[in-house]
Amino acid sequence: MTWIDEAPSLLLVVGSGGVGKTTVAAGAGLRLAEAGHETLVMTFDPSLRLKDTLGVGAAALDQPVAVARSGPGAPLWASLLDARTTFDRLVKTYSQDSATRDCILGNRYYHHLAGGLAGILEYMAVERLFEVYEEGQYQRIVLDTPPTSQALDFLEAPQRIVDFLDSGALRVAMKPWFDDRGRLRASRIPGLGRGLEAWLDRLVGIDLLRDMADFFRAFQPLFDGFRQRALQVQKLLRSKATQFVLVTGPDEARIPDALFFARRLAEGGYPLGPVVINRVHPEYPGQPPWNSDDGASILAWQGARDQRGVAALRSLLGATQTVVLPQLEVEPADLTGLAEISRRL
Amino acid sequence: MLRQRTRVYTAPRHDSIPLAPTIITTMAPRSSHLRSLRRLGLILVTGKGGVGKTTVSTALARRLAEDGARVLLLEMDPRESAHRLLGLPPSGGEVLECGEGLYFQNLQPRRVIDRLVRERIRIGPIVRKVQASPIYEHFVAGCPGLEELVILGAALEQLEPPHARTTPFQVVVLDAPATGHGLALLAAPRLVSEVIEQGPFGRLAGELATFIGNPERCGVVAVTHAQDLAVQETLELCRSLEAEHGRRAELIVANGLYPALTSDASSSSPTARIWSQRRAANLQALERLAAAPAPVLQLPLLPIDDGPRLAAELARAL
Repeated sequence: MTWIDEAPSLLLVVGSGGVGKTTVAAGAGLRLAEAGHETLVMTFDPSLRLKDTLGVGAAALDQPVAVARSGPGAPLWASLLDARTTFDRLVKTYSQDSATRDCILGNRYYHHLAGGLAGILEYMAVERLFEVYEEGQYQRIVLDTPPTSQALDFLEAPQRIVDFLDSGALRVAMKPWFDDRGRLRASRIPGLGRGLEAWLDRLVGIDLLRDMADFFRAFQPLFDGFRQRALQVQKLLRSKATQFVLVTGPDEARIPDALFFARRLAEGGYPLGPVVINRVHPEYPGQPPWNSDDGASILAWQGARDQRGVAALRSLLGATQTVVLPQLEVEPADLTGLAEISRRL
Repeated sequence: MLRQRTRVYTAPRHDSIPLAPTIITTMAPRSSHLRSLRRLGLILVTGKGGVGKTTVSTALARRLAEDGARVLLLEMDPRESAHRLLGLPPSGGEVLECGEGLYFQNLQPRRVIDRLVRERIRIGPIVRKVQASPIYEHFVAGCPGLEELVILGAALEQLEPPHARTTPFQVVVLDAPATGHGLALLAAPRLVSEVIEQGPFGRLAGELATFIGNPERCGVVAVTHAQDLAVQETLELCRSLEAEHGRRAELIVANGLYPALTSDASSSSPTARIWSQRRAANLQALERLAAAPAPVLQLPLLPIDDGPRLAAELARAL
């Protein structure tokens, strides 16, 4: 029995860019399916390399697609997500009528916000995860979290939405700022009056404000649903149904990142499963030829560096379980390669 | 264990580092790449996560400074890491001098936004109230492109200072985020200037769109590993640059190349097998990379821990 045999229904694979999150997520999915759990692997990776590794093609962009694999176990599904599609789907699902829906989808502010707003990708990942979890079709769901320089945006996204909805900003934004002739009603902005209006106008111009106001007005009926789900998602991510898998590299430069993640997960009350130390070079056999000018000195350096990193991580992480994955001769690019990762988890 | 990285840089051991043999023979001489980079004002360094963007940015800034330019290395990630490669303590947002002609700053966008509001929006006492209001919070967090604009604006300000008493930088090397967000950075001025047509931000967006769009002033350096996925992302980056921005990367840096393994002592060991597979993958990837519409510069994998010595050796290899 290893950790993965006892894994709960949601696995969230986190870590900084380039450490191999997608590969570990796909490997975990394969392992869970082989063990007889119907599993969905979801990724937000914009380079969509999961589609090649699992051989599902671009069809998985909209709906989960079954991974064609031989061998025992339950079906494995893959789904490639993008923020815009998910946001549009949400708007369509929760709009009460077609006029509201079209008003939001056609809004210039929404158009830019849906793709560009910092944190929206992360929030959409959580949102979609929750949607799929609620549908209950899969016994296990593995989420490959979005690559981001500040990967904890992902965890904070639901909280930010709740904070935003609870803040006065929304109430202010939702007041009818503009009268019937499209002129700004300065008196509607409490406490600041003309000052803020003048400031905002000087800063960005009235047109943007009008777009924003339109957007929030149209969005108002949707917000209750958003707020409620954001709270539910927060609860789910901290529950026994969820486990976080932290992926890192063994080199020293990665260690502060990994510790930062582990600490933030613990502080936030999120259940951390194992820390996967990926691409660990083996120790160099025999005496390292430090003075040699060929590649052997680099091999020896890599081996020593990685062993040192693994030891440091283990001691710094204390009781947290670590799983060491060796540097493979070839990066897994298909199911056969993935099996190499999967069986070592 | 985590070691302190504050040691002083000492002269490189010139003969100890094996450089990768030149695999692509069509490569132009190295110095010409640097010349073409030096004539630019802003160099935006992007690429896949984990390929060494910060390391290459630092080495590049260092090299350009060594060649006589006044260079600012700008780091955007608020969790600082470039300072380690310069042998400095974290900058905390200040501009630090770190050698002849080389300066470093960790740009903290939120601080810059607040400063811009103070400086440009002269409403006096109301500013503090504005900044404390939830609308301001929402605006700053919710205005797509604002942060990008502010970062590019800060870079432009260093190249073309508004006050005559400030010495301009000749080159700003911007350690940008990974491919997707890096492209967003490049696109932001145009997008924002479409949405915001007036006001200081509208004007700033317009100015920046012109500046970014000028290939004589602003260039992109794509960092990659010579490895399948990274090369694929680099080629996609080149395609997006061409399709969405009508431009090419100035330079592609293939970082961390495995040199030839000449020692035959342990050719059958697992380490040597990993080595030869990685090296074969490197060669294959470099062949694919040759199709990219930009010159490819190779940087070797060096057996040096993260720190000033690594940046110095790579600067030399550029």
